[in-house]
Amino acid sequence: MDEEVTLRPCDLADVDDLYEYASDDKVSAWCRWDTYTNKEDLLNYMKTCMIPHPWMRVICYRGRPVGSISVTPYTGADRCRAELGYVLASQYWGKGIATKAVKLTLETVFKDLKDLERVEALVDVENFGSQKVLEKSGFTKDGVLRRFSIHKGMVRDRILYSFISTDPLV
Amino acid sequence: MNHDEKNQNPKTPTITLRKFTLSDVDAFMSWAADPRVTRFQRRDPYSDPADALAYITTHILPHPWYRAICIDNTPVGSISVKPAPGEDRHRASIGYRLAYDYWGKGIATEALKLTIKAAFEELDHLERLEAIADVDNPASQRVLEKAGFKEEGILRKYVRLKGETRDMVMFSFLLSDAV
Repeated sequence: MDEEVTLRPCDLADVDDLYEYASDDKVSAWCRWDTYTNKEDLLNYMKTCMIPHPWMRVICYRGRPVGSISVTPYTGADRCRAELGYVLASQYWGKGIATKAVKLTLETVFKDLKDLERVEALVDVENFGSQKVLEKSGFTKDGVLRRFSIHKGMVRDRILYSFISTDPLV
Repeated sequence: MNHDEKNQNPKTPTITLRKFTLSDVDAFMSWAADPRVTRFQRRDPYSDPADALAYITTHILPHPWYRAICIDNTPVGSISVKPAPGEDRHRASIGYRLAYDYWGKGIATEALKLTIKAAFEELDHLERLEAIADVDNPASQRVLEKAGFKEEGILRKYVRLKGETRDMVMFSFLLSDAV
């Protein structure tokens, strides 16, 4: 299964494949964005955000885009750290694909992004699936940040996870 | 420095908080020009009052919540509350600095307590105040704990400070924590 998960840069031609999960309520529930209802909006997001992004990859399973993963650096004195985010089509959940994508990301992102020393991820306290992905990928739980962020109008507790450039790849 | 030695039997002086004015520049230099105070700050100590004046004008005066910590209306430090960027207006981070001669008297703790009360009253929708302290700054960690903040964890390699990437301790005080 491992060899079947690959990462590559996003291409506008991926819009149809990405739309399959971007239009899925089950997927958008845990994401900051709302479910997409038309491909034009998604194409616009791909053009303005995904393609120019400092580190964004499409997750492919057996060559077909099934999700995306990104590492977004902060600026200035905070450029030593970056936030990990990923999304996966729901029919591919529970197969270890997200875990493999995160591991592949950690293998190269510290070389790809200058000044990066810390990759962090904020996960909802009730998003047990994502917590497992990060734990299996070698992230450390830094702590629970209480009432940290607003998600779809609700203030949520978040778990902060980190992976430092010197941490062992698992 | 060892705060316990300086803190043997202090009576914390009466502290008030007020907005800065340009005429506070000399008082401002009493901590902003001191490398002992700026040690855990990103900025280097000021050497030119003109730079300090520019900072007061462009950063402090227009700031959403920035106050002078005063004894007898004379600033001996400052404390600020900065709302989080974007949509997370329910969250804000606190920073504070105190002139070296006033350390160890409970002043920062008292300023924090006053700020917590004022911030939750004055800032709409505020639910979470947070502060980070360098792992090598136990004095600041103690100040936050004494003011009622709860430690949430150690954030490894969190910020660049004067050429080094530092581990920081995260603290928070929630609206629901207030007694």
